[in-house]
Amino acid sequence: MRQCLAIVFVATAMLAPTRAHADLKVIATTADLASVAAEIGGKHASVITLALPTQDPHFVDARPHLALDLARADLLIAVGLELEVGWLPTLQTGSRNGKVLKGARGYLDCSQLIDVLDVPRERVDRSMGDIHPGGNPHYMFDPRRVAKVAAGIAARMAELDPGNTAAYQAGLQHFLGKLESARKRWEQALASLRGQKVVSYHRSLTYFADWLGLTVSTQIEPKPGIPPSPRDLANILSLMKAQGVKLVLQEEWYPANASQMLAEHAGARVVRLPGGPDYDHGKNYFDFMDTLVARLRSAP
Amino acid sequence: MAAPAPQPGAIARPPVVAPDAPAAVSGTTPSPSVSVPPTSTNDAAQPTTPAPAAEQPAKTVTAGTPDANDLAAWEAALAADSSQTTAVAANAPQADAGGQPAAATSALNPDISAIADFALAAYSKRHNLQLGAHDPALNGFNFQALELALGAAVDPYFRFDSNIVFNTTEVDVEEAYATTLDLPAQLQVRAGQFLTRFGRANPTHPHTWDYADQPFALTRVFGGEGNRGIGSEISWLSPLPWYVELVASATTAGGAASSRSFYGGSGRSVNGPADLLYVTSIKQFFPLSDAWSLAWGLSGAFGPNAQGKDMRTEVYGTDLYLKWRPLRAGSFQAVSLHAEMLYRRREIPWTTLQDYNSFASLLWRFAQRWSVASRYEWGSAALDDGFHTRPDYLDPQVTAERQRVTASLSHYPTEFSRLRLQGSVDLPKYLPAPIWAGLLSLEIAIGAHGAHAF
Repeated sequence: MRQCLAIVFVATAMLAPTRAHADLKVIATTADLASVAAEIGGKHASVITLALPTQDPHFVDARPHLALDLARADLLIAVGLELEVGWLPTLQTGSRNGKVLKGARGYLDCSQLIDVLDVPRERVDRSMGDIHPGGNPHYMFDPRRVAKVAAGIAARMAELDPGNTAAYQAGLQHFLGKLESARKRWEQALASLRGQKVVSYHRSLTYFADWLGLTVSTQIEPKPGIPPSPRDLANILSLMKAQGVKLVLQEEWYPANASQMLAEHAGARVVRLPGGPDYDHGKNYFDFMDTLVARLRSAP
Repeated sequence: MAAPAPQPGAIARPPVVAPDAPAAVSGTTPSPSVSVPPTSTNDAAQPTTPAPAAEQPAKTVTAGTPDANDLAAWEAALAADSSQTTAVAANAPQADAGGQPAAATSALNPDISAIADFALAAYSKRHNLQLGAHDPALNGFNFQALELALGAAVDPYFRFDSNIVFNTTEVDVEEAYATTLDLPAQLQVRAGQFLTRFGRANPTHPHTWDYADQPFALTRVFGGEGNRGIGSEISWLSPLPWYVELVASATTAGGAASSRSFYGGSGRSVNGPADLLYVTSIKQFFPLSDAWSLAWGLSGAFGPNAQGKDMRTEVYGTDLYLKWRPLRAGSFQAVSLHAEMLYRRREIPWTTLQDYNSFASLLWRFAQRWSVASRYEWGSAALDDGFHTRPDYLDPQVTAERQRVTASLSHYPTEFSRLRLQGSVDLPKYLPAPIWAGLLSLEIAIGAHGAHAF
């Protein structure tokens, strides 16, 4: 037993100084936020993501090694609006790192930076499904809101690491410049969608629709988190036919069989949207949105 | 608060950033700024980052690496401040001046949730060996528990969690403890009444179980409630590159339903540190890949028993949890294996009793709303130093080994409700016939959305 402990302590002493040392250690809950933060932070920030882009951010396992990452972080960037409520608090408490707790400067809830849509006007309860009482958290589909998020992230980075303020501002300006031209490019590419009616699987395209001028007729989920029944699908089909809906949009992590069948019957097409950039393999927010736009354009 | 480095030609104030107007901070960067396009919807109530204090020492400080001399000077200044201050306001969490209207005073209420478990049970034998406090042990309808969970951050330094369980006839404070949030050196302390972190199953509540009853290993070794007590726990997250957590707790050794192998219901009082129950464990986690996770723990519980002066009990355990959850798009599948083994030694006059109890459970979630699970359990009789079967003072009827096989099918309409069908056959060699059981259970949960541990 004593020998084991000795080995552990020696190993600890050897490993501790070898860890990479960026000025600011940043953790984002999702890959899209991580990508934005990395663009701003540049070489001054090391950024990792907790959830993978193939993973529904509502349902992430609180795997303990994520708490270990969080223990070493200076800044935790979250989507907010209870998107991460099922797993992030466990990790925050487990991290023992007061810097990244709610209320601390090292915790940035990005929903605070944008104007939130789908805020329930009535008192909510779960008969309405697994509803987000604060409003819709899927705002990263809208580059205009992403610009605001980016500005907020840059400001917080500068606040935590004032020595690199100029670098973060430069990173932000560079990112915003790229984002602005990309946004125009995407808007042009998807101009034909303006005014179209679409159906989405989850209520996750509110901001996307707000940006591009789409109308989301209904969701395939009858209520958030509730899978559709055959009767729901039949109702959606008649609605799609009546309104001439030709597009079904959903994130990749949702099942597609029912959507596919609906689309066939209604003469529409299903477009599966990536959930975020494959950040761990070098992809960024622009790659993600380019893929998304390409998929929307490509299908007949 | 670290101070910004003055930049040549920069404005001598900290960055104050309105997120909707990044140009406002471009004083430090002469590059042309790009304005953020307005959104079509209401932009009112945009937050601004609060400005730090105005005076800034002219010294470059980067995050996380403040100069030690500086820190000492700051500490001295703060100490002087606090000795002069008569009423110090608590270091309230910094309000994130939000885009959303801050909710009313109810926002400060704790997170409250209520979880109720009911079951319909049929056993082939009325004396069915079910001794877990939440086990549906009666033929017919069972009210397993109504658990009221309250939790909230106390202040920036503590959070508080409690689980209060109502049965039809009594109220039981299962857990009520404070957890530190920001101790230095990766330490965390819990204090109050809590389930000890012996193994993986012990600290859990019925809400996270894969079966309607608990493994008999825990019931037999610790009692119907699992091992818990009033006391304090310290845990340390090691700086190793993989997850290693060391946990040690000291709790009361009494309680017939929570520490039966120790003082149990004997009512012995505490006359010194040797009268407490000590639990230590080491927990490791290995993210084998994005899809595969492995958690492995070793635990020990050490305390006095009531069989004589200076008689001690030791329980050693190991727990393994292997999970496969592919993060492929559109998949709800997951498979997990959970196994634990407990070895118990109890000193009694003239000899030592030892026994083994174990279980292994395999769960397959095959659809968004469905999972199946099966569990195998095995426990030995009490053996003396020479490995001869001895009568067990706690369980006189257990004179041979016991096995039980259980299968369950669970349906989750949502995260907040669960229906479960369970069947089991119990094969104690000390009884003439096996005990068959069929259970149908319902669990509902209302209130705050709890965050689940892995």
